[in-house]
Amino acid sequence: MWATARRMASHRTFTSPALKFELVAQCSVRMTCTTRARASILTLPHGIVNLPIFMPVATQASLKGLTPEQLEATNCRLCLNNTYHLGLKPGQEVLDAIGGAHKLQGWNHNILTDSGGFQMVSLLKLANVTEEGVRFLSPHDGSPMLLTPEHSISLQNSIGSDIMMQLDDVIVTTCPDKVRMREAMERSVRWLDRCIAAHKKPESQNLFCIIQGGLDLDMRRECVRQMLARDTPGIAIGGLSGGEAKDDFCKVVAACTELLPDLKPRYVMGIGYPEDLVVSVALGADMFDCVWPTRTARFGNAITKHGVLNMKREIYATDFGPIEDGCGCPCCRPVDQEGAMGVTRAFVHHNAAKETVAAHLLTLHNVWYQLDLMRRAREAIIQDRFPAFVKEFFANLYPDSSKYPSWAVDALRGVGIDLLET
Amino acid sequence: MTVDNQDSGSPAMRFEILKALKDGAAARVGRLAFAGRLPIDTPNFIAITSRGAVPHITPDNAEKHLKTTGAYMALEDFIERPQQYLKRTPPIYQASTTPKHPTRLHSFTATPPSVTTILSARRLPAVPAPMGNTTNAVSVFTSTGFQSLTTTEYHSAVEALRPDIAIPLADLTHTTTTPNSKRALRMAERTDEWTVEWFSALSNSNVSTFAPVLPIPYSIQWEYISRLAEDYLPTGQLAGLALYDADVLPDLESHSPSLLPLPRLAFTNPPTPHHILRQISLGIDLFTLPFLNQISDAGLALSFTFPAPPDSKDMPGPQPLAIDLSHPTHATSLLPLSPTTTNCACYACTSHHRAYIHHLLHAREMLGWTLLQIHNHAVISSFFAGVRATIAEGGADALEQATKRFATVYEADFPEGMAERPRARGYQFKSVGGGEGKRNKPAWGKLGGNEDGNGEGKTEERGGEEEDGIVKAVEEMAVEEKEGR
Ligand SMILES: [Zn+2]
Ligand SMILES: [Zn+2]
Ligand SMILES: [Zn+2]
Repeated sequence: MWATARRMASHRTFTSPALKFELVAQCSVRMTCTTRARASILTLPHGIVNLPIFMPVATQASLKGLTPEQLEATNCRLCLNNTYHLGLKPGQEVLDAIGGAHKLQGWNHNILTDSGGFQMVSLLKLANVTEEGVRFLSPHDGSPMLLTPEHSISLQNSIGSDIMMQLDDVIVTTCPDKVRMREAMERSVRWLDRCIAAHKKPESQNLFCIIQGGLDLDMRRECVRQMLARDTPGIAIGGLSGGEAKDDFCKVVAACTELLPDLKPRYVMGIGYPEDLVVSVALGADMFDCVWPTRTARFGNAITKHGVLNMKREIYATDFGPIEDGCGCPCCRPVDQEGAMGVTRAFVHHNAAKETVAAHLLTLHNVWYQLDLMRRAREAIIQDRFPAFVKEFFANLYPDSSKYPSWAVDALRGVGIDLLET
Repeated sequence: MTVDNQDSGSPAMRFEILKALKDGAAARVGRLAFAGRLPIDTPNFIAITSRGAVPHITPDNAEKHLKTTGAYMALEDFIERPQQYLKRTPPIYQASTTPKHPTRLHSFTATPPSVTTILSARRLPAVPAPMGNTTNAVSVFTSTGFQSLTTTEYHSAVEALRPDIAIPLADLTHTTTTPNSKRALRMAERTDEWTVEWFSALSNSNVSTFAPVLPIPYSIQWEYISRLAEDYLPTGQLAGLALYDADVLPDLESHSPSLLPLPRLAFTNPPTPHHILRQISLGIDLFTLPFLNQISDAGLALSFTFPAPPDSKDMPGPQPLAIDLSHPTHATSLLPLSPTTTNCACYACTSHHRAYIHHLLHAREMLGWTLLQIHNHAVISSFFAGVRATIAEGGADALEQATKRFATVYEADFPEGMAERPRARGYQFKSVGGGEGKRNKPAWGKLGGNEDGNGEGKTEERGGEEEDGIVKAVEEMAVEEKEGR
């Protein structure tokens, strides 16, 4: 009690024009807790966000059939929009005329946007990166187009996102070409400078840098130093989740967080599997996004603490229990509670791949699961029982501890949690 | 005039006629109430579900935003026989009930308890079955194909699911062509036999029977209708009528006046609100409106009110019945979905604007259809409220005047936009007619075949061709790669 009060009183805070970061609790300051996990409060132009956080991806200014009201009811206060998609539809002119993406989608909470570069490079095979920007052929009419750091920022200014991402030179982490990897890292630093120079609304929109450098830890560290010198209000670790081994992923995250200042939010891009989230939190990351939870919902999959269940399987045809026992989402919560729908696995099974409603229900459940997982992690950090939380999480997921993924065991051992200890 | 079935075979229902413009086949306002459900003020409509859900509307949104108090469910949506599990008992018969979901039908579909349920064998509109009906079974179309549903099977389904209103099987062709007199006579005879069987089999007094009145001339079905009036009305077993053609009502007035106090539910598929008004004047109390789900899928926002708004210089000429929100003029419009004269207070109009719906339609985001469904159901709901107020406050003349004015203020048909929008979305394969149904189904095959789909394959909102389809495909690849899994 007393310890909590003292910690509360000693919150350390970082403030920049459009962001306030308040560190509420840190695992590593306690004798019993040796991980790098942190709990914090991030105040953005559209309100307060508790970290760690999972951010659902509303690619085209809509979260796959959920109304903004339903998304708000999952306690989501920060979601993603994709700059590349909004640039195509509705387009910059419309965004300017309407007054930005918040107004477009009737969402009064925070929005984070990517730079648009990742999508171009990964999806348009003919994209070609030069110092000027990313050259590609329009998917509409095949005409040559160019995405520069200036254009990306201009688009994100029109979108009005609370957090914008710099345009970076992304290449797959598994790329064996060291020279190209270094070029990409250094170019990303130069592009950050161009993004900062082009940013027209620093008082109302935050621009985050993205750390590159592939799987080369020294190059990552060098990138961290160069990026930190630019003093952006938040820092992202990019280029991951591109097919690298999980061990390598963890090493990169750990190498970066080790050098990052305590008082800035840290965002690991493109991460969404529950195990990845929990381990990344232990490694000191605060923010995550991924389309997987909402995308997998559309294939009939429910994320639960015991793993992913495919509702299309025949065993669920007559299963009249909730999607997940004990889940507090509007689909699953006990029917006598406010806002409960009383949806059963049988009903989801009945309509999976047949009515859009089944996808909406699973999207609602999955988003809730991801947000709740991070909320519970946060509570555990604040209450000084994060290692116990991590152990319980893995025990639920893998009834047999010999099946624990070795990458997670190793990564967690590195920050003082022994998953296999009894 | 009150029909109070509280002491009869249907203790669960009460229909009160509050004002009738004349005795017989004419417009009237009333209140239809079932034990435990919200009462339905009539004339009104009920929502049509697909597989137990109002298309695109989750149960929480239905409860909060749809403002409908009734749901039409088709048994054929629940009794498919998957290839590998041909012998399985349809899961819905095993559903458990709770205080929140007091019947298996409510509980399986997560329908709020306030909603009155109507169960019939076929969807609205139904896909015609190539093999037709037999002496003791109708052909139904499930997600796994055509199968036959016997009268006995249907009776046990009704007993198990306990809908508030059940429609006995009728021998219908489900085509728009008028059956020849020989076929029409057989329809009447079979339906008559099935109805006799129905009333002797049905023991659940919580289920109210609305007997089908066939879409054939009264002169061909008079024996059947007389039996309803003479045998099943006095016993209280007959609770209402389900009319497949509103124009039979004047004949009922002359030949079977004892049936007139019963509530009248219409399966008449009125194509526009003008047709609804005409059928109201013939005496229909409760409508099912297949055009609603179709209009939303077509990107149209209903834009009419009843009575029609006063003349204004800003709006010369006939007004459209609906606005095509996919039209580029709405790209930056911050107006509510329908004209401000309609004062629509629905969630879509109060929280969103045309530009967003336009964007969602253009981007083929499912939320566009959800918001249109919410709005379109709200507009229809207000339309009926306006009709009831006109009848209650003004009477016959007022209704006639307002109906005439409605016909001059609004265009005769829904705008063309309906047909122009690509609508190749498979889930509605049964509601759009046999031929199209067959075309749409394989699209789902692909998705359905992706059993362990963890982020691979196509998403369900695919369906566009042309350039949008290409952009979409490319975008989906991007998302997959970003996930890296
Ligand atoms: Zn701790
Ligand atoms: Zn849930
Ligand atoms: Zn509206």
